[in-house]
Order: sequence, then C-alpha cells, then structure tokens
Amino acid sequence: MAEALRRVLSRSSAAGPEEDTAEAGPPLLLLGAPGSGKTTLLFAAALEAAGEGRGPVFFLTRRPLQSLPRATGAALEPMRLQKIRFQYPPSTPELLWLLGTAHEGPGPAPALLLLDGLEEYLGEDPGAQEAAHLAALLVDTAAHFSHRLGPGRACGLLVALQTQDEGDPGEALRLAVLQRYFPAQCWLQPDAPGPGERCLRACLEPGAPGHRTEWRVSFGADGEPTVAPAAACGSDQASGSGGRARALIGHSLSGPGSPTAKRPRSGTRAESGT
Amino acid sequence: MAVALPGVVEELLSEMAAAVRESARIPDEHLLSLKFIFGASAVQALDLVDRHSVTLISSPSGRRAYQVLGSSGKTYTCLASCHYCSCPAFAFSVLRKSDSLLCKHLLAIYLSQVMGTCQELSVSDKQLTDILLMEKKQEAS
Repeated sequence: MAEALRRVLSRSSAAGPEEDTAEAGPPLLLLGAPGSGKTTLLFAAALEAAGEGRGPVFFLTRRPLQSLPRATGAALEPMRLQKIRFQYPPSTPELLWLLGTAHEGPGPAPALLLLDGLEEYLGEDPGAQEAAHLAALLVDTAAHFSHRLGPGRACGLLVALQTQDEGDPGEALRLAVLQRYFPAQCWLQPDAPGPGERCLRACLEPGAPGHRTEWRVSFGADGEPTVAPAAACGSDQASGSGGRARALIGHSLSGPGSPTAKRPRSGTRAESGT
Repeated sequence: MAVALPGVVEELLSEMAAAVRESARIPDEHLLSLKFIFGASAVQALDLVDRHSVTLISSPSGRRAYQVLGSSGKTYTCLASCHYCSCPAFAFSVLRKSDSLLCKHLLAIYLSQVMGTCQELSVSDKQLTDILLMEKKQEAS
C-alpha cells in the first residue's frame, strides 16, 4: 500500500502531489531498526486509509499497542478509529489461520491490510519457504479482499519488518525472499538529529516504475513527527521559513477544513497546538 | 504485484496461446524458447500438462488456488495471486538459489492455461482454507 504511506508522507509537505488515487499501490514493506518509528507510520497510514471512507482497515499485530502512538495528535477522530479493526494473532499458525480463513468471514472487505512486527512471526531462522509462504499468503489475502471490493478498488498491503544488522546472511536471504512479494519498500534510517529531536530518513522505493522518494521525519520532544521532503530539508535548519511541513499526523488528520491547517507552520516551535 | 513474469516470458506465453488457438499445438520454435528460458523444467512442465495434472480450485467466496499432481504422486499447492509453490524445488532453486524463475509446477499452471487443459474443481470455503494453509496432513485429493 505504497499509496497510503506516500499520501501520509507527502500530504504533510506542501510539495506533495495531491492526487488521491483509489489504486492501492503495490504491497509495501516498511523496514527499520527497533524504535525507528515503524509502528507510528503504520498507524498513520491506517488512519489515513480509514479516513477515506473506502472501507475498514485491518491492523494485525502480536500485542495490543501499549498506547496509541503519540504522533497521531489530539485530533483522533473516533470515526476513523472505529474503522480500524485490530487483531492480535499470538503465533505464526494463528496468523496463517487468520489469513487462510479470510475468505470465510462475512463483512466488508478492508481497504487496507496492515501487519506490524512481521519478524515476530518469522521465528529464529525461518527457512526461505516459511518466509515465502507467510508473505505469499499475505499477498493472497489482500488480493482476495481486492477481488471482493470489486472493480476499480483494491485492498492495500502494508507490513512492517524490523531489521537487525544487514551483515547476517540469513537476514539478507530472508529480505530477498520477502522482496519478491513486496515490490515496494520504505526504509527508515536514523538521521542526524536536530536540537532536541529524534530524526530519521524515510526512503520509499516505489517498486512500480517511479523514482525513489525521500523524506526526513523528525520527532519533536513531544513525540510529534514533522515530515519534510528530504531534498527540501537539505538546508532545512537554516531556512525555517513558513513553508516547512506541518506536523505529519495532526495536520493530515485534522484535514483541510480545520483552522490549524491553513496556518503555515513557522520555523520556531513556539506555537504548538495540532 | 509479485506475480510479474519477465516481459520475455509473458510475450512467449501469449504467442504460444495464439498459436494454440490456431493449430491446437505449440510450435517447435516456442518449445525451443521455453527450453532456453526454463531449462529442464520446461519439458517436465509440459509433461505435467499433458497428463492434465493441473487443477484450478475455487470456492464460493471467489478465492482460488491451484493444485498440481507432481510426477512423484505428491500434490503441491500453488497460490493464484503470486508465485508460491509448496514444492521443495521452489524453496531451493527459486527462492534460495534463485537460479530458476519458476518451479515446474508453476510453469505447468501457465502452460495449462495456454493449452486450455486446466482442470476445474469447486470446493467449500472451509476446504479451500485447508488447501491454502497447506496442512501437512492434507492427503492428495
């Protein structure tokens, strides 16, 4: 579901294209070290898709989220939250069973299927076949939902995978296998943090034809992420001009209608409020 | 989607389909190209197709899967939406070594569609679940 994530990342920056394609985009793998903001971005994409009224969103994860990721801002519209159906398969067989029986359940097909923590379902050193079977079943489930959604609509697939060190050959093989099923990837890498903020670089490989896009996501002290296109933020520290992107989630959630949306964000963090 | 075949293969398959529609057999030059791209599994796949061992399994929900009766008598399950086969050759030479594009079962599925010899089987949603999960205890149906 490169599209939902792309819209999340690009909507927050003025430069982002505004086309809202109904097309879901290829299955996307969100990769990053522990604590690199994967769950936050995954949750933002879930809210993004839930907000479009195109159907529910299925969010699969091993354990309930301890707290709603701080980054989702105060404007958590309950209406969007209700559309996100959380499920907590505790083990790989249960996850496989959930995916394998997806066609048996009644109810509307989701517009987005998300899985957080794929690494927890891959076990210590999964063979290529186990990793491929799980990835293929995820893709097959999303494809079935797309079929049920009918022509012109598709169910996106967005999966987060924690990466340790690329050195270990087992992990490299596992990633190569997964990339067969997830043509699009978004890498979250730590970046040089500005004063008092944690910062990372999101690099989206669209898989489909199209160039790689990069954003710089910085989390302020309050955990609020701010996203700017990487290119634009090269001289970001100096510019601080009004054009700098608004807070990622709070802004996109509060939507164009709300008063805070119009006010360009000034460089200083003095005025907060999302 | 992860089911993308390289362009040259898709082109070859569509040319073969056109040729089969006219003369109900695959021209030799296509067979040569097939062997060139897929090596030994080309002939093995054609053999599976001739023995009508490819079955498209569908359930009322609209979800589908394929089953291919291997030459060893074992039944392998392949997904309809992306390249996955439960056979050891897929795990080894396609995934691990990536020295072949498809295993002979996946290739047999494409060829059976070209030849129009794909069997059809309707099952209940419940049965399709067992097939998708590739339960080990599932006997060769």
